[in-house]
Amino acid sequence: MTLAATRTKAEQALSQNFEAVASKLPGGRAIAEARKAAIGTFAALGLPHRRIEEWKYTDLRSALKEALPPAIGGEAKATAQDIDRALEDLAALDAHRLVFVDGVHRGELSTGGILKGMKFTALAAALAKSADRAGEGLLRESAQGHEAVIALNTAFMTDGAVIHIGANDRLETPLLLVFARSGREGRLVTTRNIIDVGAGAQATIIEVYVTLVGAASGQANALSQIVVGDGARLDHAKCTLAGEAGSHLATWMTTLGVQATYRAFQLTAATGLARNNLFATFKGERSKLDISGCFLGRASEHIDTTLVVDHAVPACESRELFKGVLTDRARSVFQGKVIVRPDAQKTDGKQMAQVLMLSEDAEFDSKPELEIHADDVVCGHGSTSAEIDADMLFYMMSRGIPLPEARALLIESFVGEAIDKLESEAVRTAFSAIAKRRLANLTG
Amino acid sequence: MLEIKNLHVKLAQEDKQILQGVSLQVPKGEVHAVMGPNGSGKSTLAYVLAGREGYEVTEGEILWNGENVLEMEPEERAAKGVFLAFQYPIEIPGVATLTFLRTALNAVRRKRGETELTTPEFMKRARGEAAKLGIADDILKRPLNVGFSGGEKKRMEILQMAVLEPTLCVLDETDSGLDIDAVRIVSDGVNRLKAKDRAMLVITHYQRLLNYIVPDRVHVMAGGVIRKSGGKELALALEKSGYAEFESKAA
Repeated sequence: MTLAATRTKAEQALSQNFEAVASKLPGGRAIAEARKAAIGTFAALGLPHRRIEEWKYTDLRSALKEALPPAIGGEAKATAQDIDRALEDLAALDAHRLVFVDGVHRGELSTGGILKGMKFTALAAALAKSADRAGEGLLRESAQGHEAVIALNTAFMTDGAVIHIGANDRLETPLLLVFARSGREGRLVTTRNIIDVGAGAQATIIEVYVTLVGAASGQANALSQIVVGDGARLDHAKCTLAGEAGSHLATWMTTLGVQATYRAFQLTAATGLARNNLFATFKGERSKLDISGCFLGRASEHIDTTLVVDHAVPACESRELFKGVLTDRARSVFQGKVIVRPDAQKTDGKQMAQVLMLSEDAEFDSKPELEIHADDVVCGHGSTSAEIDADMLFYMMSRGIPLPEARALLIESFVGEAIDKLESEAVRTAFSAIAKRRLANLTG
Repeated sequence: MLEIKNLHVKLAQEDKQILQGVSLQVPKGEVHAVMGPNGSGKSTLAYVLAGREGYEVTEGEILWNGENVLEMEPEERAAKGVFLAFQYPIEIPGVATLTFLRTALNAVRRKRGETELTTPEFMKRARGEAAKLGIADDILKRPLNVGFSGGEKKRMEILQMAVLEPTLCVLDETDSGLDIDAVRIVSDGVNRLKAKDRAMLVITHYQRLLNYIVPDRVHVMAGGVIRKSGGKELALALEKSGYAEFESKAA
């Protein structure tokens, strides 16, 4: 066997690019060692490909033809107006803003001061300061089949938000983490967030991945590690508009304590290639999570949502609802695995993924999996893909609603069911408006 | 006036002729009933009037106020005042009833060259008409017809009719599945809409509904043609004799 010897151009370039920038990446010696170990892991594994079960429908090895040069800071030009424009309807949201441009925290574009109850450190600063705890914590994170993507994040990460919400503190406004891309050249931007919501605390955190108007899209590897403490609640949303030529590899790894609540939502549109990994683990009993999302694909866009919900303890509740709309040759993948460990009695899990196909050439690959090792549980899953219902269209037209308007209303209502999972009205309104605009691109 | 002339209709996908030369005239201000056994083509007539796909008109025409209805898309027909109250109203998940009503009303108003209603104007109108039909406010906020009872769905059809103010109302088996109280509520709603510039075509299998919505003319349809026309007493005669006479001839 000589498998390890064959590496694609992109895989070789990733390793070479690391050598070129390693000395400029933030962090002390221990972090540098960790990065080096990570690129070694990556070099051994290569990019995930279709023979790895988790990547059967999204073959990164063939999809990523080239490795863009990594962004390592520098003189990215961006103004507050540029950011506002790129944020679309989220610009008007009353929120505390932390802005990262090309993977570097930009204090002058962020909201001044600090939200009451929240501690923020830029990841770059945290890496420079501490060689021990932060670094150690980062490297323990892994997930089966995703080692290579996580290793790449560890190797190249430049910055991100390290957030701590104190016990019983409540953030009064949402925290908006903006990851913007500037410049005419496509780059690899690698960021990591570490979010720790203390016991009894509450927060709303929204990640937004956008490309500034006129800037080139590129590649992103984004990772968020989230701990929702005992009795805490986190509303966590993400809006990805990475650009038609852009690729977005994102991983959320969440653990929940006792009686915790985690509500996650992801909107992905106007993105060439997206792979959204979500791993959530119940570590404390009587906790609830709701992971939902909406993906809109056109042209030859490829949007993959892969989630693993691990019921490791009893009496927890999980809900997943994903809704997609696909046209042209767009393809989407949904892989949803729910694991119920032997001890996790009284688990209540429900999962649904639904896609509306606007074109015959669109494709939806759905793979729901229930892995149940306990006997006293209620679990269900479902998946549908359908065209717009002709009877519904006729009914609406018979009431005078013109065909394009009838179609738009039916499509909006279809994704609306997922967007309604956002409980904050202001956040929901902003996401809904962005989705509506992107839907117009799909149907127009 | 509605003029249906020698209408022949077959299913588009298969070689099955359903209407074999239906001729019928309903002047404005009148209510006509079409009665007939199952499979006689009554519902096909209703769908063809509204413009549903899946049917092919092989001969004949339909004129409404002198205009050829068959050349119009369903939404154009609606703008011209054609309204079909469905036998089986369609559920529209995710679209709130009020949103649906408002979108439809403003679409037909635009098409008719009228100004759109403001939100308060619309709400007043929708709530007012709903109250007359005994439709609770919270139902108006729910997705249209989703989880509604049979009676609620039929009332919702009449509500849409009242709000959209069509001039040609076609009611397809509006009493099916309704208890006697619901029949009365729905019929009262229809009767309130009777007007001298409005024509109504009530399609029904049973005579019962015609006790409440009294027709000016009754047409008996069987085997895809109108077999007999008469006054309202024809419905009562049918109630006694049944459709056997027509079915045997058709066979």
